[in-house]
Amino acid sequence: MELSSFFLMRHEMALLAIALILIIAEIFIPKQKKSSAVHLAIFLFGIHTALGFFPLEENSLFGGMFRTNSLIHFFKNVLNIGVFILLLQSADWIQEKIVKLNRGTEFFILLFFSLLGMYFMISAGDFLMFYVGLELSTIPVAALAAFELMKRRSSEAGIKLILSAALASGVSLFGISMLYATSGSIYFDDILVAISPNNLTILGFILFFAGMAFKISLVPFHFWTADVYEGAPISVASYLSVISKGAAVFILMILMFTVLKPLMEVWENMIYVVALATMFVGNLFALRQQNMKRFLAFSSIAQAGFILLGLITGTQLGTASVVYFVMIYIFSNLAAFGVVQAISLKTGKENIDDYNGLYRTNPRLSLIMLLALFSLAGIPPVAGFFGKFFLYTAAAREGYYLLVFLAVVNVTISLYYYLLVVRAMFLRQSENPIPFFNNKLYMRLGLGITVIGILVLGIYSPLYDYIYELSAAFNH
Amino acid sequence: MEKYIFYVLALIMIVSAIASVSSRRMLRSVVYLLFVLIGIAGIYFMADYNFLAAIQLTVYAGGIIVLIIFSVLLVHHIDMELEVAKKSKRIITALACLIGLGVFMTTIYSHPFIETTTAVTTTTADIGFALLSTEAGGFILPFEVISILLLAVMIGAIIIAKGEDVTEEPPKETPLVKQEKPVEKKKELLETEVTV
Repeated sequence: MELSSFFLMRHEMALLAIALILIIAEIFIPKQKKSSAVHLAIFLFGIHTALGFFPLEENSLFGGMFRTNSLIHFFKNVLNIGVFILLLQSADWIQEKIVKLNRGTEFFILLFFSLLGMYFMISAGDFLMFYVGLELSTIPVAALAAFELMKRRSSEAGIKLILSAALASGVSLFGISMLYATSGSIYFDDILVAISPNNLTILGFILFFAGMAFKISLVPFHFWTADVYEGAPISVASYLSVISKGAAVFILMILMFTVLKPLMEVWENMIYVVALATMFVGNLFALRQQNMKRFLAFSSIAQAGFILLGLITGTQLGTASVVYFVMIYIFSNLAAFGVVQAISLKTGKENIDDYNGLYRTNPRLSLIMLLALFSLAGIPPVAGFFGKFFLYTAAAREGYYLLVFLAVVNVTISLYYYLLVVRAMFLRQSENPIPFFNNKLYMRLGLGITVIGILVLGIYSPLYDYIYELSAAFNH
Repeated sequence: MEKYIFYVLALIMIVSAIASVSSRRMLRSVVYLLFVLIGIAGIYFMADYNFLAAIQLTVYAGGIIVLIIFSVLLVHHIDMELEVAKKSKRIITALACLIGLGVFMTTIYSHPFIETTTAVTTTTADIGFALLSTEAGGFILPFEVISILLLAVMIGAIIIAKGEDVTEEPPKETPLVKQEKPVEKKKELLETEVTV
C-alpha cells in the first residue's frame, strides 16, 4: 500500500487532525481565554470545508473496506457545509453558556468525532466499517445531548438517546449477522454476488432496516425523537435532525440500491407502508405541538417520510432526488433551528405562542423563519418545492401514483401547521412580544448562508444535473 | 459427547439469561449475566476459537462485569427493587416475546445452511497479522477507527462525569423504582422526636 493512497482519506485525516488540535488547544489555552477555542474551531473547520471541494478520484482502500467516489465525496461536502452552518449558529450559545462551565472545546471535539464517524459510515465498503462508523457517529451525540447537565431534561435526553440507540444498533447488528450467515461475507461486493431473497436474509434485512429507521426516525421507531429534541440543547437537536439523519439516509440508500437490490421486491412493500405511516404520524402529531422544538421534531419525522418516496424507486432518478432533497432539507431545517436558537438564547422562550407579533419587533428573523417554513412545506418559489417535486417525479415514474397522491395530501396537512407558526409571527399580536435584538456576527453569517441556500439551490438548475450525473455511480 | 456439552452450556446460558432480565435486584442480574458470558466462552472453546474464548473470558467475564458491578455499586439506591409489572402487561410482554422467538426459530431452522468441512484452527499469530494487514481481509482500518471511538467515548464520559449537581426541581412523575428505605427513616425520625 502506497503512502500517497492515504490522500483518498483526506476528509477523514483532516477532521481527525482538527479534533486532535482542539484537544491539545484545550490543554494549553488558559482558563480565562477559553472562548478563543470557539474561534479556532470555526476557523479550522471553515478551512476544512473549503478544501473539501477539491476533486477526489474514485478508488477503494484497505482491501475494499474504505471506498470513495464522486457522489460520496459530494455528500461529505454537503455534510461539511451543514456542520459549518451549525457551528456558526451555535457559537454564541457556546460562548455565553457553555464556556462558563469550562467545556466549550469539548463540544467541538465530540461533534467532530461524530462527523468523522459519519464519514466512515458513508464510505464503508463492508458491514464492519459501517457498524463502527455508525457507533462513532451516535455515541458522542449522546454525550452532547446531555451537555447542559444542570438541566434535568438535558440529562434525560442523553440517557434516552444512548439507551434507544444501543437497542437499535443491537437490533441492526443482529440483522447484519444474519446477512453474514446467509452470504458468508461482510464485504458489500461479495454480499451482492451471494445474496438471494430467502427467509433468513429477509429477516436479517428487516432487522438491519429497523436499526437504520431508528437513526432516521421513521415511524414505528420514532418515539425517542420528540423527547430527545426537546431536552437536548438546540444545536444538538438540530444536528440530530439534519446531519445525522442525512448521513443515515444516504448510506441506507446506497446499500439498498446496490447490495440489497436483489431484495427489492421485499423492501418496496416495506417502504411503502413505512413511508405512509411516517408521513401521517409525523404530520398529525405536529399539529398539536406547542413547543417549537417538539414541533420541529415531528416536522422532521414527516420530512423523513417524504424522503422515502425517493428511496422506494431504486433508480438513478431516485438517488439524485434523495441527495438533492436532503441537501435542501439541511439548509431549510438549519434556518428554522437557527431562528429558534437565536430567540431561545436571548429570551429563553421556545413556545409557538411566544412568537406572537414577532414580525413587528424582529422582522428579519421572522422573514428567515418564513422562508424556512415555506421551504419545508414546499411552496413554489423556494428550494423546498423543487426538492419535493423531484421526489414526486421519481416515485411517479415508477408507478406509485397512490403514494404520491397521499404524499400531496400530507403536504396539505403540513402546510396548515407550518402556517400556524407564520400566523403567530405575522398576524397575531401580543401584549409583550419578544423585544428587538441584534444577533452577533457568527449567528448572522449562519442564518445568512441558509437563506442564500434556500433561495439559490432551487433556481440554480445545473446543480441537480450535476447530482444526477454523479448518481450513476450507484445505479448500474 | 460434544452434543451433550453444548446442550448443558446452552441450558446454563438460557436459564441465566432469563434470570438476568427477570431478576428484580440489579446486582443479581449482573451476576446472572456473568454466567451467560462464561457460557458463550464455552461455546467458543467448543468451536475451536481458542483466542476468542480467552478474550471473552478476560475482557467480558473479567473486565466488563467488574465494571458493571462497580457502576451498580456507585448508584445511590443499591437495594432498590424494581416494581412488579401489572399482570396484563406481563401477559402481553410474554406473548410478544414468544411470537418473536417463534418467528426467529422457524426462520433460522428452516434455512439450509451449508456445513463447512474444513477444520483449520485459527492461531493467535493469524489473528495478529489480520488485525494489522492493509490488504483484503485485513482489519487495520476498523482497528484504528475503534481507537478513535474509544477516545471519543472517554471524552464524552469525562464531560458527563465532571458535571455539576442538578439544580432544577425534581421530576413530578413517580420514579420507576420503588423506594423502601425512606419509610423506615421516617419511622426512626418519629421515634427520635418522641424521645426528645
